[in-house]
This record gives sequence, structure tokens and C-alpha cells, in this order.
Amino acid sequence: MNNKPEIQELSEFLSEYTTCLMAVGVQTSRIARNSARIAQAFGYTTDMTIFQKTIIMSLKSDETNETFSSVNKIKPMSLNFEVNSMLSKLSWETYDEHLSLDEIKKRFDEILKKPRISKWIVLPLVAVGNACFCRIFSGDMIAMLVVFVATLIGFFVRQLMFDKHINHLFVFIFSSFIASFVAALSKIYHIGATPDIAIATSVLYLIPGVPLINGITDIIDGHVLAGVSRLINALLLIICIAIGLSLSFLLLGLKSF
Amino acid sequence: MTSTIVTALLFDGLFAAGAAIGFCLISNPQRNAIPICALLAAIGHALRYWLTHYFELDIATASFIAAFSIGLLSIIFAKLIRCPAEVFSFPSLLPMIPGMYAYKTILGLVKFLKNTESDVAVNILLDVFKNGTTATFILFALVVGVAIPIFIFHKQSFSVTRNKLVGK
Repeated sequence: MNNKPEIQELSEFLSEYTTCLMAVGVQTSRIARNSARIAQAFGYTTDMTIFQKTIIMSLKSDETNETFSSVNKIKPMSLNFEVNSMLSKLSWETYDEHLSLDEIKKRFDEILKKPRISKWIVLPLVAVGNACFCRIFSGDMIAMLVVFVATLIGFFVRQLMFDKHINHLFVFIFSSFIASFVAALSKIYHIGATPDIAIATSVLYLIPGVPLINGITDIIDGHVLAGVSRLINALLLIICIAIGLSLSFLLLGLKSF
Repeated sequence: MTSTIVTALLFDGLFAAGAAIGFCLISNPQRNAIPICALLAAIGHALRYWLTHYFELDIATASFIAAFSIGLLSIIFAKLIRCPAEVFSFPSLLPMIPGMYAYKTILGLVKFLKNTESDVAVNILLDVFKNGTTATFILFALVVGVAIPIFIFHKQSFSVTRNKLVGK
């Protein structure tokens, strides 16, 4: 490699790259593979340990045996499948097309700058999705409508609170509370034949599906610590959902199912 | 008789597809992957519905078979569209995530804590255990089921994001 970048420069980029992948919800083995690939393209080897909040990475030059270690904080970002696949693509492009580090950095910034799907499109579709889910659990049409409204309000509150960077556990308790409260009103006013199913499905849009899947994947891949910490985080969120549900049961004087 | 099965499966698939679109949009998927996710979710969920309702298979085994077929199909689509198979398989699994079992386990624990009669408490405990194991087993079945095709087609699935194949 003729234009071999400085070890520190590459390490800075890789730390940026890996913490970003971790934040958008990529399984651990893919993160390790992708960054090893980029390092290899420049004549370096890299090894890393990944925790829930930090990534410890050491980079070693194949020629001079020079090593550089760093501990990098994982930034809070929301889940993003698109960034996941674009960044994986970038690692192959680096490997196959022998891109320079500046070029990779440019493409990396472009990928991160890509706007998310507008939240005004996401909001109604999540509500429709959750209403469909209610039908799968054999709720009737009215229950579906109740779930639609409950999810619309609950998810809107969640988006608002996430934008204000409020503690995410609190966000989950509160949006679960709002959604189940709206759905529970249908039980109090005797709307529809299956109000219990409406209440039970109204909070399902909050279930952290991606961390749960990633956690199990990590454990199977042998990254047991990373996997368990993901699972515990997901479990915390599920407990928060249950707290929100119990709160609305308590306030409305309903019996828990 | 067969027509009722077909309509039931179609409706199940349709609503699963709707749920999959809603849930995967939260995680900002690639735009061109969304219809495929919906299709895979519909196939997977309808398959699970069919297995549990007409073959009386337990939900964990049925989830495993459904996830396995989602995994196989997602590798085929990954080759066609050139992005990682997870882009399709993850969102398609989302409607099958045992969310309700999971939080019902927690709610049951709280109920157990509040309860004072011992004969009721045993029933609650049974419920908690049933919900908890169901959630765990489904989750493992989903992930292992989707991962097996990826292990079988190891080489293909790791390099689908590659633009050109260069001899190394």
C-alpha cells in the first residue's frame, strides 16, 4: 500500500465507524468483521472488545508492529437499518477499490447525513402496523381502531420525547402509559367486544425487537457478554412497558390481566 | 373447507405484512427493502399460523420453521438486491417477536408479589413460567432459525454487499 495512513488517523476513523455501527444496532460479529476488513485494506490488523457503552480497540501495523489502542464511547443514536447496510457496503468498497482514507471519510459522512424517513410518514404507518397486530391477536374492527388511535398518540409522544433527549427509560414508561391509557378508555366506556386485546396490543409498538434479536445473535456467535448486556437492556425496556401498563390500570381502577 | 383455510392464511399474512411495515419503519430501513420485508413477514407469519392451527405444532417449533424459511428467502433476495440478508430477515421477524408474552411475564410477577392467597399464587406462578419460557423459546427459535441458512450459505451471505468480486 503506497498511501498508508498514519496509525492514529486510521484509529480515529475506525473508532468513529465502530461506535456508529454499534449505535445503529448491528450485531457484534459484523462490527468486528467490517472494521477488520477496513484495517486490512490499509495493512493493519485490529482487535476489539465491545461493551454496551464503550468499544476498546487496538490497531497494529503489519509492517512495523506499531500498536495504537483506544477506548471509545458509543454515541446515542437511534436504530437505523439503512446506515447498517451502507456502512457494511463501505467496508467492502474500501477493501476492493483501494479507496484512500479521505475518500472513505467523505463517504462515511455522506451516509450519516442521509435523512431518515420523515416522521410524519412513520407515525401513521406504525399506528396502522400496530392495529394490524391487534387483528392478529383476534381483536375486532373496533379494537383495531382503538389501537390505531392509542398508538398514534403514544408514538407521537415517544417521538417528541426522544427529540428532547429525555431519559429513554422514562420515555418508554410514559409512552406505554399513554397508549394503554387511551386503549383502556375503550374498556371503561364499553366500546367494542374485545377491549382487553386492544389494551394488550396497544403497547406492542414499543417492544425492543431489534436489541432482542441482536442479543441472541451475539450470544450464539460467542460474544456472550455483549449479547447478555443487550438482552438486559431490552429486558429493562420491557419492564418499563409493564410499569406504564400497570400505571394506567392503577389510575383507571382496572384489574390487570 | 380448504377455502376457509386459504382465506384465513391470506388475512393472517396481510395483517402480518402491515405490522412488519409499521415496526420496521421505526428502525429506518432501506426504502427498496420495505416491500420485500412485508412479503417475507407475510409468508413467515402465515406459515406459523398454518402450522400452529392446522398441524397443532407448538408455537416455538412453528416459529423456528417460519424463521428458517424467512432466512432462506432473505438470502435469495439479498443476492438479487445486493445488501446484507439481515436487512430483510430482521424486520420480517419483528411481527413474530414474543412481546406480549414478555411483558405478561413481568406483569404476572407483580401480580404474584401482590397476591396473598396461596392457591391463587400457584396459578399465577404457572402463568409466569409458561409466558416466560414461551417468550424465551420463541426468541431463540426465531434467531437460530434465521441464522441457520446464513451459516449454510456462509460465504455468499457475508459478501453480498460487495460490488464486484475481485480475486484475492
